[in-house]
Amino acid sequence: MNAILQFDHVCVEARDGNRVVTPILDSVDLTVKAGEKFGIVGGSGSGKSTLLRIAAGVLSPGLHHTSGSVSTAGVSMLTVAPKVRQQMYGSSVALVAQSLGEALTSHLTVRAHFRDTLGRDVSDETILSSLDDAGLDGAKYLNRFPHQISGGERQRVLLALALVRSPSLLLLDEPTSALDVGIAADVLATIVRLQESRGFALVCVSHDIGVIGRVCDRVAVMSRGRIVEHGATRQVLAAPTDPYTRSLLASMPRLDMRIREPHARVQQPVVVVRDLTVIRSGSSRALDSINVEVGKGEVVGVIGESGSGKSTLLSVLCGLVPSTSGSIHNAHGFDLTTPLRDRPASVLSEIQMVFQNPDDSLNPVRTVEQSVARYTHANREEVLAALDAVELSEQFSTRRPSEMSGGEKQRVAIARALLAHPQLLLLDEVTSALDVTVQASVVKMLASVQVATGMSMVIVSHDIALIASFADRLIVLRNGQVVEQGSVGDVIDSPSDPYTQHLVKLAKTNSF
Amino acid sequence: MQCDGSESAFRDNGMKNLARRALFTIGAFVSLAVLSFLGIDALPGDGCTALLGRFGTEAKIAECRVEHNLNDPVVVRLGSWASDVVQGDLGYSIKRDEQVAQIVLPRIRNTAMLALVAAVMAFPTAIVAGLLIGRFPRSRIGRAINTLGVVAMTLPEFVIATILWLVFSIWIPIFPGVTVVPSNATFMELLPHIWMPALTLAAVVFAHSMRTMKAGVTTIQAMPFVESARLRGTKERVTLLRHILPAALPPVVNTIAVDAAWLLTGTFVTEAIFNYRGLGRLTIDAISDRDTAVILPIVLFSLGAYLTMSLIADTVVRLLDPRLRQHQS
Amino acid sequence: MSKSSQHRSTRIRTFVYCVLGFHAVVALIAPFLPLMPTDKQDSGAMLQGFSSTHWLGTDALGRDVLSRALHGGRPSLVIAILATALSAVIGIALGSLAALAGGWVDEALSRLIDFLLALPTLILLLLIASFFGHDPFILIVTLGFMYAAPIARVARASTQVLLARDFVRVARLQGGRGVNILLGEVLPNVWRVVFTEIAMQFTWIILAFSSLSFLGLGASPPTPEWGLMIAEARSYMTINPTAVIAPIVMLASLVLAVQALVDRE
Repeated sequence: MNAILQFDHVCVEARDGNRVVTPILDSVDLTVKAGEKFGIVGGSGSGKSTLLRIAAGVLSPGLHHTSGSVSTAGVSMLTVAPKVRQQMYGSSVALVAQSLGEALTSHLTVRAHFRDTLGRDVSDETILSSLDDAGLDGAKYLNRFPHQISGGERQRVLLALALVRSPSLLLLDEPTSALDVGIAADVLATIVRLQESRGFALVCVSHDIGVIGRVCDRVAVMSRGRIVEHGATRQVLAAPTDPYTRSLLASMPRLDMRIREPHARVQQPVVVVRDLTVIRSGSSRALDSINVEVGKGEVVGVIGESGSGKSTLLSVLCGLVPSTSGSIHNAHGFDLTTPLRDRPASVLSEIQMVFQNPDDSLNPVRTVEQSVARYTHANREEVLAALDAVELSEQFSTRRPSEMSGGEKQRVAIARALLAHPQLLLLDEVTSALDVTVQASVVKMLASVQVATGMSMVIVSHDIALIASFADRLIVLRNGQVVEQGSVGDVIDSPSDPYTQHLVKLAKTNSF
Repeated sequence: MQCDGSESAFRDNGMKNLARRALFTIGAFVSLAVLSFLGIDALPGDGCTALLGRFGTEAKIAECRVEHNLNDPVVVRLGSWASDVVQGDLGYSIKRDEQVAQIVLPRIRNTAMLALVAAVMAFPTAIVAGLLIGRFPRSRIGRAINTLGVVAMTLPEFVIATILWLVFSIWIPIFPGVTVVPSNATFMELLPHIWMPALTLAAVVFAHSMRTMKAGVTTIQAMPFVESARLRGTKERVTLLRHILPAALPPVVNTIAVDAAWLLTGTFVTEAIFNYRGLGRLTIDAISDRDTAVILPIVLFSLGAYLTMSLIADTVVRLLDPRLRQHQS
Repeated sequence: MSKSSQHRSTRIRTFVYCVLGFHAVVALIAPFLPLMPTDKQDSGAMLQGFSSTHWLGTDALGRDVLSRALHGGRPSLVIAILATALSAVIGIALGSLAALAGGWVDEALSRLIDFLLALPTLILLLLIASFFGHDPFILIVTLGFMYAAPIARVARASTQVLLARDFVRVARLQGGRGVNILLGEVLPNVWRVVFTEIAMQFTWIILAFSSLSFLGLGASPPTPEWGLMIAEARSYMTINPTAVIAPIVMLASLVLAVQALVDRE
């Protein structure tokens, strides 16, 4: 049997000092053969990251292994001495963890990272060939510090570092979740190429089934600590048998799926932007001579990658960020470039915004009712009505943020915005931090809110499929400029700009 | 923000920054010096009342003032004092009938020696102890040293000095309890008398730096890049010294700078207890004698020490973190 | 955390609270306890050890050590509490308003904070204590201003971080104004960090005042004060150690308890 990784009835639970016990892994069985590409997909809380880390013998503090065995490259990872485990890292098994924070040491150069892993006498040629394999070309990277190279490049450096001693098993935790769509596709292609040329076994964990579909031959679907379905990737994606897998696949945004019927262009504008330029610190133009109009009852989707200016556009529209030149006017001709503190209350409430990070949108010391009513001065009935509109029951009114999930917190943030009775609602990547199933239900809710209230919306995302299912009109931003604008149907079916074409093509290859 | 990795950018920004900080420090020093002069001048009494004290009649005091130009307006006195200082003349103490430089400089030398010995004893050990205790918090030795450090930090200086004096002068008589050499003794003559005050100061300062280092290490090792290094196969010692240590140093550098300034300027109590003839002892004497001519340079030295240490600390921190070298934050 | 260290942690915490409670109670009710008067000199019983009349013995002037030790915290605690309160108010106001205002106001106030931090606090204290007699009011005001700077620095840094958070941005979008936001959104969230700093400053002030008394510039005899008692009894340490150990234990336990409390937070 040439299983490189074997889980047998593994159970792990989380113990709080106060005797609260939460099961994290519930009798997990898993076999990965040498040279195989195996994927694990699941939402947050499914236990997939814990599973991967246990394969490397890493048990975070607070977690207890209660039964079952884990064998990696023939070694029983959870029972063996730490020194033996440490010997295996890099040589038999390597783990590249989620790099939302800093996975590379910020005060060391790339070369120094290699020296620390391989020994001080490693030659530059060895390092360069390793970087080259990972898709990084040139000696310029050797002396650079992590903050001097981009996210995609950092991920490639991590891959090179993990593979430099040719381990037989590579564990990847969300390898591309922090990267832009185009770059992510390139990095995934590199991973596939490396695996095919070197033949190591690969276990890849992701919340994004598109990533798994692209890289892995076999897949396991996890939910709440259990593997609910597994098999060949093509098979599972085409004909899922488990209800959770089915709901997961159904929640994925698709270009050919509409959550909300598109409306024809309505002439009456709610906000008019002319020639808007925003120069932030430094001399780079976050927005460059933008012309945009949002009509009454219209949903405008803004697509762009990081650095495109999409968040800046929303921030300027609501007045949080000052513009450098150009004009913004509302329906009554009021100049919306006036700073927030000089605007009358009626104008302020016209435009409201919901932000991306659910953990940041609510004041931790306040209950839901206090948070939504404090500045909108809503009474209890209005609060309950708003909570109802976002599909939250009455009992949420007394909960605190620490007692709610990400999706629930975003719903509260939306309710808070609704209580100001805005004419224009700005949504900045509001579902990007949520599980795909939660995302689907939040977007459905937004659609019904829009239909019920008739308010205009500007929704920003990096996910073109998501926006195309929801918006009436699309705007594509790149480097602060509008490269394409038009109705959803036109932009998706026949994009004129090469950048848009590229994005649409990527979105089409991602869907199954 | 994308940064260009060229070397010249580093030099430009680094130099400009350093020059800007140095200029600001000098400006701060000068303005604080002027404020000190005015502040001390505003205190009741002057050099003449200090000299003659209760025995001086109105006439004698007036005569003394005329003799030493103490009736000139404040601005004039400030100006002449400033020009004197720039030329190296620190003034004249009426009460002690001596040039201030003669009085103050040997004391500064003595305190500097004391500070140096204490610093050498305390800072390196604190960094090593903090690093090891932070990395291995559950070891018994670690916990013991940690508790010792906590206790040392909470006991006031005079208590630590008293306990050490009790242990090393009375119970196990190794060191002399009280310094009997004059203030301009040589280093070798001073040496046996330095140990106890230095040990006291080192105890106070050690605890502070060790706690900061430990806290820094605890925070840093929870960060993703440390685990990432380990899971790539980096050896434990390399991880500790090349990944964790430089990242945990910046707050400790600041702590050390503040404590180093304190060692030079704030050691009154210890010097008083051991009768060590340093700057601290002089400060207390000068203040109780109301000798403003001596107090002023001491205050200036204090300011200078703090500002210089801050500047050095800032520079070191910038050098440690490559991200700070190029961005002006 | 393993169960045993969890238990130990709770036990330590309870112990710390007991010590603090003890100090608070003693400081408040000491004059009403049936103790010997603190300044009664018993010339027949000087520097005696434990006895049935003087539970902790007597000092060089024949005064009861126990009584003086229990009263000895009052002068420093009164001054420390008032000075800390003053420095907390000044520090929080200065720091948070600087962060809120931004721009040149923030620059100017930051320079002010830097200036206050650069002041040689101990020399200044010595000067003021020496020249202006032992007037507690002046001492409190000076301590309040000097020790406000570290609090201001922490308050400013925490406020800056808070103001960048999304829920503060939403408050602005929904009509919240400057100071209102500061009080409602920012302060409840920075309070914990700032409180730690305030507690640390409280311990420094107590130690500073005891040191002043030790040098003869703080409380004046015959007031019972820990620093002063230690100074007086130091020379007779070998004859009757209780006279110097009792105030040391009182002072050290108070400072240790406060620091242990904030360390756990």
